[in-house]
Amino acid sequence: MMRVYVDINRCIGCRSCEVACKRVHGGKGHVNVHISEDRASVPLFCHHCEEAACTMACYSGALTKDGERTSFSLDKCTGCGLCRLACPFGVVWTDKLAHKCDLCAPNETPTCVLTCPAQALSNDYELALKRARARAGRATILGGKR
Amino acid sequence: MIQVDANKCLGCFACSNICPNQFITREEEEGKRRTIRWSKCKEECDICVEFCPAKALTLIPYSDSTPEVIEVSFDLVPCEVCKKGFATEPLLKRIRETVPSNLQTDSTGRSWVEICPFCRRELEAEMASKQVVQSRRK
Amino acid sequence: MSKSLVSTICPYCAAGCGFYVAVEKGRATGIEYMLEHPANEGSLCPKGNAALEVVYSEDRLLYPMKRNGNEWSRISWDEALKLVSKGLGRTIKNSGPDFAGFLSSSKCTNEENYLIQKLARSLGSRNVDNCARLCHAPSVVGLNRTLGAAGMTNPIPDLANSKCIFVIGSNLAENHAILSRWIHRAKDRGAQVIVADPRLTHTAWLADLFLQLKPGTDVALLNAMMKVIIDEDLVDKAFISKSTKGFEDLVKAVKDYTPEKAAEITGVPAKDIVKVARMYAKSPASAILYSMGITQHTTGTDNVQSVANLALITGQIGKEGTGVLPLRGHNNVQGACDMGALAEFYPGYRKSDDPETAKFFGQTWDTISLPVGRGLTATEMIDAACNGELKAMYIVGEDPANSDPWSSHVKDCLENLDFLVVQDIFMTATAQLADVVLPAASWAEKEGTYTSTERRVQWSNRALEPPGEAKSDLEIVCMVAKSMGLNFDYPDAASVLAEINRLVPTYKGITRERLGIGGLIWPCPSTDHPGTPILHSAGFKLQDGRALIAPVQYKPAAEDTGTEYPLILTTGRIAVHFNAGSMTRRSPSLMERAPNLFVEINPEDAAPLRINDGDSVEVTTERGTTTALARVTDSVKQGVVFMPFHYPGTNFLTTDARDAEAKIPEFKVAACNIVRRD
Repeated sequence: MMRVYVDINRCIGCRSCEVACKRVHGGKGHVNVHISEDRASVPLFCHHCEEAACTMACYSGALTKDGERTSFSLDKCTGCGLCRLACPFGVVWTDKLAHKCDLCAPNETPTCVLTCPAQALSNDYELALKRARARAGRATILGGKR
Repeated sequence: MIQVDANKCLGCFACSNICPNQFITREEEEGKRRTIRWSKCKEECDICVEFCPAKALTLIPYSDSTPEVIEVSFDLVPCEVCKKGFATEPLLKRIRETVPSNLQTDSTGRSWVEICPFCRRELEAEMASKQVVQSRRK
Repeated sequence: MSKSLVSTICPYCAAGCGFYVAVEKGRATGIEYMLEHPANEGSLCPKGNAALEVVYSEDRLLYPMKRNGNEWSRISWDEALKLVSKGLGRTIKNSGPDFAGFLSSSKCTNEENYLIQKLARSLGSRNVDNCARLCHAPSVVGLNRTLGAAGMTNPIPDLANSKCIFVIGSNLAENHAILSRWIHRAKDRGAQVIVADPRLTHTAWLADLFLQLKPGTDVALLNAMMKVIIDEDLVDKAFISKSTKGFEDLVKAVKDYTPEKAAEITGVPAKDIVKVARMYAKSPASAILYSMGITQHTTGTDNVQSVANLALITGQIGKEGTGVLPLRGHNNVQGACDMGALAEFYPGYRKSDDPETAKFFGQTWDTISLPVGRGLTATEMIDAACNGELKAMYIVGEDPANSDPWSSHVKDCLENLDFLVVQDIFMTATAQLADVVLPAASWAEKEGTYTSTERRVQWSNRALEPPGEAKSDLEIVCMVAKSMGLNFDYPDAASVLAEINRLVPTYKGITRERLGIGGLIWPCPSTDHPGTPILHSAGFKLQDGRALIAPVQYKPAAEDTGTEYPLILTTGRIAVHFNAGSMTRRSPSLMERAPNLFVEINPEDAAPLRINDGDSVEVTTERGTTTALARVTDSVKQGVVFMPFHYPGTNFLTTDARDAEAKIPEFKVAACNIVRRD
């Protein structure tokens, strides 16, 4: 299961991903949109890191690596808060117990990807790669100018 | 009933979350100080003992002479960026011990452990959007 | 547990997104995305995602109520109807039908709007209108005049075919968010995007060229663009000679609008004006998207006509990827206008001051003699209530106490009425002033058609039963009509739609059976017609088939800054809220993201006033004062401040100066001052 890729060029800062994630996770959303200098917005959520600091800090076995995904089992969580402090990106939340992006498993496509009005979120690696290349290409052609 | 080793206690949320009879509470003066309180309990359930990440709790026989409440307090370490207290020093020490040191710094070499989760997100957003922000500033 | 998915149309904006309400045991348990919808492809903005919070809000009105002083008491429907028929009837009998006013709801279905205007006119009153008056009335007037039809000329997905997208006076990234995906597709295919707005909005983030113009100076910008296009011979001569009239007058009218002169007026650099003119005219397919920044002015109709002029002289209309695209606000404001809930039009835009219109509808509506003549518009009804020219009002699903400008004046006027009945889902500020309140069903609790901004007529199904004793607006209007002696015998929305099919030519082929996912786009003149996504591809439905180029001159906004009020206050919207906020401010997921009224102020303006980001400040205009939290940002230019109007307070400040023809208030320009609250 791929993680969710963000195309910051496309993000319009509407926060639909936040509201949708919260809605499908019983009121506990794990996306946060940060606005940068009133010029861009970035939705932030679990990167499903290869070397996941949160799994290293977790002593109860609630957070583990399951292939590419950083997996979380609610029933093992004690709510200690170590994972929240261990995440370098601040994208593990605790509200009594921990919660973070679970890629909306077992659904094929995460809710945020489906709902994003601007199609800024994608779990399609090939698409993310294609977009990155296109941006680089355009930047080269325009000589760094818009 | 519970005996607390204050030197081992991390000041985390596990025992106060987990006690089925709510004998363990925590209080936080937001951004400044956190206090955890264990009330004298007759239960022998040992759930808190088992789930303490620091093994700071032990079960000892009930006695009338022990205090009604045991308290441990921590000053919250201020975030390097926003200066608000966000974690106890023992908790941050534990993070430094369990996460490999090469992972404790971001791509610019800055250590994120002493930065609160909110500011960590802000920094991540800033770094990720740098180019886009620049191009939109004409 | 068996779950059923009911297809509905989002109750918020006019993008007309579809989504499924998941229902289990009579309760809505969630939302499923409608991936097959042609406009939104399943995506939803934050408001759509939170829509169910409105349905189950604790504040829902559950039963009819009447007011005794400051107390409300519950009454039965029977008693409520007696009070309403007495209240309206007394005014009609003692003073005359034109002393009664009806505000229809641009949130209600086409069927409901049709019935409300039918009710008003059957009772003899000419005064029926809807809140389009506050938003796209200039489009209704200006585009009917220039192009022969008022509506987005090309459908939303067609934006992907555009090579140049000119957004002026619209913050679509926040207010019509799903359009972004189509604009991104256009950009992927090489399109350029130009955004003209006094603020550097989220929409401006998408722009290749951003024109930060002074509020209210759009005609200067557009006329200068047209002068450049004319001087550099970038006009579409063939199109002009074949399909338009009035070009020569335009050439004369824009003669003096040099880029330099426009730069002085607008604050946009002359070279950018030249650049945007060339980009727009030269591209093989250019589209203009516009909204309140163009319409909410004393020169709103002029502004709209200028937009149409620009498209007409360059032939950027009637083809794929082109068009004049007004982005309408409410989910059914387009429909409310199509259904004639307007002072100057009957259904299908037949003029209300034409005796033939009254005759035509009189034939079908119980053959009573219907009133002829243009009635009071929504904004004029407020004034009329103040000076005794209007004594009773029936307001459905609208909140003038929050939506209209100069709130204190509105409140005084509505309180002056002899009788006010308000039908709504919540106890809005307007409902608080009523004598009788009638509880209505939310969108998920009734069925009917809604017409989106792309003229797409879609059927929305009933997913749930209304709570308490609330009823659909259709049912309530029929009960009110019957209580006043009218024979409104409509068992359901489909039966009303069937009548609409007979009387409104553009809706003739839009029958219940033909409405599946994605609906049909009007004009649809027969039951085998597929609908008309692109308008004007075969000429214009005006005299001799020609569009009218209607030149206008720049006129400054009604209110100017001075020593007492040195800053320009402009207003607008943000992504997580909607309009007057009666729904979104009761939606916890949305409120937690934007709980407070704020004012955006440039650092250069904030510094001498000792205002820091987050400070509580007081904003004052001639009409009132309100408190807000300061947001110091360079998104606004020095001299301009911005406030969203979703919270009570912003409209305490706005002016009720109006466009002479369309009667829309100038929400976008007021003079104000700001002080820090110590």
